[in-house]
Amino acid sequence: MISTNWIKLEIPSDTRNVAFARTAVALFASQLDWTLDELEDIKVAVSEAVSNSVIHGYGLQEGLIKIAVSYTGPELSIVIEDFGRGIADIEQAQEVGFTSIPEERMGLGFTFMHEYMDEVRVSSQVDTGTTVTMIKRVRALES
Amino acid sequence: MQYHLQVKGQALIATLQGELDLHTSPKFKEELVRLFEAHATITHLIIDVKGLSFVDSSGLGVILGRYRELQERGGRLFFVQANPQIKRILQMSGFQKISEFANSTSDVLERI
Repeated sequence: MISTNWIKLEIPSDTRNVAFARTAVALFASQLDWTLDELEDIKVAVSEAVSNSVIHGYGLQEGLIKIAVSYTGPELSIVIEDFGRGIADIEQAQEVGFTSIPEERMGLGFTFMHEYMDEVRVSSQVDTGTTVTMIKRVRALES
Repeated sequence: MQYHLQVKGQALIATLQGELDLHTSPKFKEELVRLFEAHATITHLIIDVKGLSFVDSSGLGVILGRYRELQERGGRLFFVQANPQIKRILQMSGFQKISEFANSTSDVLERI
């Protein structure tokens, strides 16, 4: 039998909810057999994606963020979706150090997501929103 | 997120407890900026991260901003008691090139 499970969350775009989102996702993800470091990796990746939605998607204004987390066997999927401004140039946005707010941000959000997750896919449309899909797989324990 | 800030000679010592992210970093930044402006003598920033349980790019951005200030003052940036997870994210962000790791605040105070 393939082990599978899922959760869906909807949260307002509010800086207070960044910690809630990463903690809730990590708590759900902990049903799989991660190391503590890997769970921390998931928290950082979720924190970055949700922070991007709050800051860039909605410009710190009101908005809705949808988070869908699921796993099938050892593969965890996290989908974070906003309905904000969108990203005009997705490739540029994922470059190391690129930020649209240079005085405040390091431009490392996507870098951390790519580093900490096995796969990151971004789809976006200007004035429609952005969806970030991140995949991480449980490594088989070495015997 | 709790923090304790202390000016000691030429050093500003920041002891962090909790999570530094998009929500908690603006207040921390505000306090650091205030102290840097109030004390022109601050040259070095020592950040004790033993109690820091989480940091992301929002939190690191605040520290990078203060590093730029330190550079103008000819000072140095130190991280004290970084656990492996915090050390990893600091290294990935390039902080190992612009800062130094130490075991205790007193070690750093002897060094500077």
